Amino acid sequence: MKKRLFKLMTVCMAVAMLTAMLSACGGSGGSGGSTGSDEGKGTDSSAKETTATTDDGKPDTSKKVVLNWYLLGDAHADTPKVVAEWNKMLEKDLNATVKLNFTTWNDWQTKYNLLLASGEKVDMLFASSWADFFKYSKQGAFLDLKDLLPKYAPETWKEVPEQDWKDVTVGDKIFAVPSTYPEYTPDGLVYREDWREELNVPEITDLDSIEKYLDAVKTVKKVTPIKGKAWNEVNTLFHSYYDFKNIGGDSGVIVAKSYDTPRDVVAYPFTTEFEEWAKRMKTWADKGYWTSNTLSIQQESGDFIKTGTGAVYWRNAPGASGFISDIEKNYKQIKKMGYFPFTRFHNYAVPNLGINNGMAIPKNSENPERSLMVLEKLRNDPKYYDLMTYGIEGENYTLNDKGEITSPPEGKDPKKGYSIASWGWRYAKNDHPSSSRWAGEDALIAEFKAESKPEIFSPILMDYQPVKSQLAAVNQVYQQFGMPLMMGLVPDVDKAIENYRNKLKAAGVDDVLAYVQKEVNAYADEKGLK
Amino acid sequence: MRAERSTIVFNIMGYIVISVLTLLCLLPFWLIISGSLSAEDDIIRDGFRLVPQHFSIEAYKAVFSNPMQILKAYEVTIRLTLTGTVLGLFFTSMAGYVLSRKDFKYRDKLAFFIYFTTLFSGGLIPWYIMIVNYLNWKDSYLALLVPSLLSAWNIILMKNFMKSIPDSIVESAKIDGAGEFTIYRRLILPLSTPGLATIGLFLGLAYWNDWFSANVFITTESKYPLQFLLYKILASAAVLKTNIAGNLGADFQAPAETLKMAVAIVVTGPIIFLYPFVQRYFVKGLTIGAVKG
Repeated sequence: MKKRLFKLMTVCMAVAMLTAMLSACGGSGGSGGSTGSDEGKGTDSSAKETTATTDDGKPDTSKKVVLNWYLLGDAHADTPKVVAEWNKMLEKDLNATVKLNFTTWNDWQTKYNLLLASGEKVDMLFASSWADFFKYSKQGAFLDLKDLLPKYAPETWKEVPEQDWKDVTVGDKIFAVPSTYPEYTPDGLVYREDWREELNVPEITDLDSIEKYLDAVKTVKKVTPIKGKAWNEVNTLFHSYYDFKNIGGDSGVIVAKSYDTPRDVVAYPFTTEFEEWAKRMKTWADKGYWTSNTLSIQQESGDFIKTGTGAVYWRNAPGASGFISDIEKNYKQIKKMGYFPFTRFHNYAVPNLGINNGMAIPKNSENPERSLMVLEKLRNDPKYYDLMTYGIEGENYTLNDKGEITSPPEGKDPKKGYSIASWGWRYAKNDHPSSSRWAGEDALIAEFKAESKPEIFSPILMDYQPVKSQLAAVNQVYQQFGMPLMMGLVPDVDKAIENYRNKLKAAGVDDVLAYVQKEVNAYADEKGLK
Repeated sequence: MRAERSTIVFNIMGYIVISVLTLLCLLPFWLIISGSLSAEDDIIRDGFRLVPQHFSIEAYKAVFSNPMQILKAYEVTIRLTLTGTVLGLFFTSMAGYVLSRKDFKYRDKLAFFIYFTTLFSGGLIPWYIMIVNYLNWKDSYLALLVPSLLSAWNIILMKNFMKSIPDSIVESAKIDGAGEFTIYRRLILPLSTPGLATIGLFLGLAYWNDWFSANVFITTESKYPLQFLLYKILASAAVLKTNIAGNLGADFQAPAETLKMAVAIVVTGPIIFLYPFVQRYFVKGLTIGAVKG
């Protein structure tokens, strides 16, 4: 028996050693492979340089290549046809074809990790601040385009605004080509304007008028105004009303106190503003502006508006415009919808970062030069742009004389309306607005443009590594005690706030705050903010 | 033979209780069916009901709006399931048989080696690198088929089952002049039908329900298996509820509540018929796992 045990242990050891050796092998093999491809690239581009000078300044495209591109989301049923068409042109002009892959929406974050971590040969990829662009850049997943851009994408290099290049510069390196499509996506509320007129409530301009409107809908119309999940409506309203700014994406309970004082970082549950807010929300919840199970419900309030059993819905500005034009088209019994953007609380709007959408080249790309040339064509040549973005003219869309697009064309099957994740190469110059867009959209955009201030909070990069466990605890407390408090779903607000604050302290909110403060200071020093 | 009064009463009670329990089990499934046949507006306004207020097959129309795609996905899934189950059974039973033979010298070591792998796993990224960079199976059916062919757990189950077959059967066959493979094929396999049925069902269900490998490895739409295709429809719906929605066109239509139910029906439909066929083996088979060791 003892002998057997001994034998067993030897086997164990042998297996362990074997695995260690194998994994070491794999590791070095992997890195060896990547350096190998790097070298290959180096010689490749130098070879091109020599021919580039001989060939009237144009980059050499004598070798036919297939480029492996990845986009987010789903393909359209007609995508294979469109890409085949597109490749015909591309092969003639640049001697390249693109294999367009889609991640689908299932676990796309995981797939991004896999694509970039495994060293798969990908030549171009949709990149975005909300798809972890900054994290991947920091980890060195993307290729530095600084030297390639002037040579292989000169037009893009010239035409993209200075500020946008800054947005994609991480530590002196440019890691993506941002889309050139200034966008504002402030939060706001979509509401039933026809009911407001009918009930004779004042126009919505501030928090009090919102309350009046909700009250009238509830008492006169006998309709629960925010019948689905009301969390987004209330949470964004809170942040916008007090001008509390999230730092580096969603920073939970830690916020900058206002746009003008980026260094003034606080945990908002400890402010008097939050006390005031929680008390007010308690009265709102008691009056039944939303249901008491609003935190567990999964349905969208917007769906209830469509069936006439809801009145208010949170959307960002482009989302609101899409929602309203959908209602105008498909729900004729609703006469008029309105939109109140929260920018009106403090009268300024912040455009999205340039890299809200963009295209990046992963480090393992085999043909970054050609890929960049194709992107240059795609962005700047309307023929390429329209085909890839909108599909086949006449089949998937038609243009009117104002350059507005109708997709799908009149009388065609609605499924013909072409839409893929084309945001990465969007260029305002070539873009066609939809002919059926919500009439209020242009005015809104003009309003935002007039009061625009640059985005300073999103690019602050935080990985929370030193305070990981505290952050997890804080988030736990936030979900358990903070969310019901925000929604006014507690019997006694004062007691609940005190309890919430104690729990946050115990969870280590001060450590998280100190960490964020440190990062914000470093960032503000670097960018010269006050 | 006449039953006693009390027995009759007991039987009646028994039938009643079992019927109620059965109904309770069927209820959720019925709710899905009824939901899939309801009008969308009714569900949003009043929630799910046992009997649809307004009968509607819109959801099924939406699922089958592109029938070729669904049929193709069915075909992919059925082929994968069949090939995977047959091959998987073959390999698992061979491995199990070898490990169950007492005269195999390294039996314990090999069994330990197999068992040892169940304790840890390489994780997603090494697995992905292995399949994509070394085996070159990206966008290939092999990536869906091969990895789940053999599982340590199934081998152990098979081994334990085959252990219960008396050694003397093997010996007697040997005396009659049968080779090893003949023994395996003519004697052991027929004797282990309950085990094979159990593991076959496990494998079949695993292949039928597997959407994750397709999610990670398959990029061509026409190669999607059914589960993934339908899951994809639902994932697109979930995205519409996030901030990303602002980027999407207004014409991007959200799949509705009823659609989810219809999808569930479409995907569970065929595999549910597998149960009655293997059930008679399955009942016995499940007890095998209980007596381990």
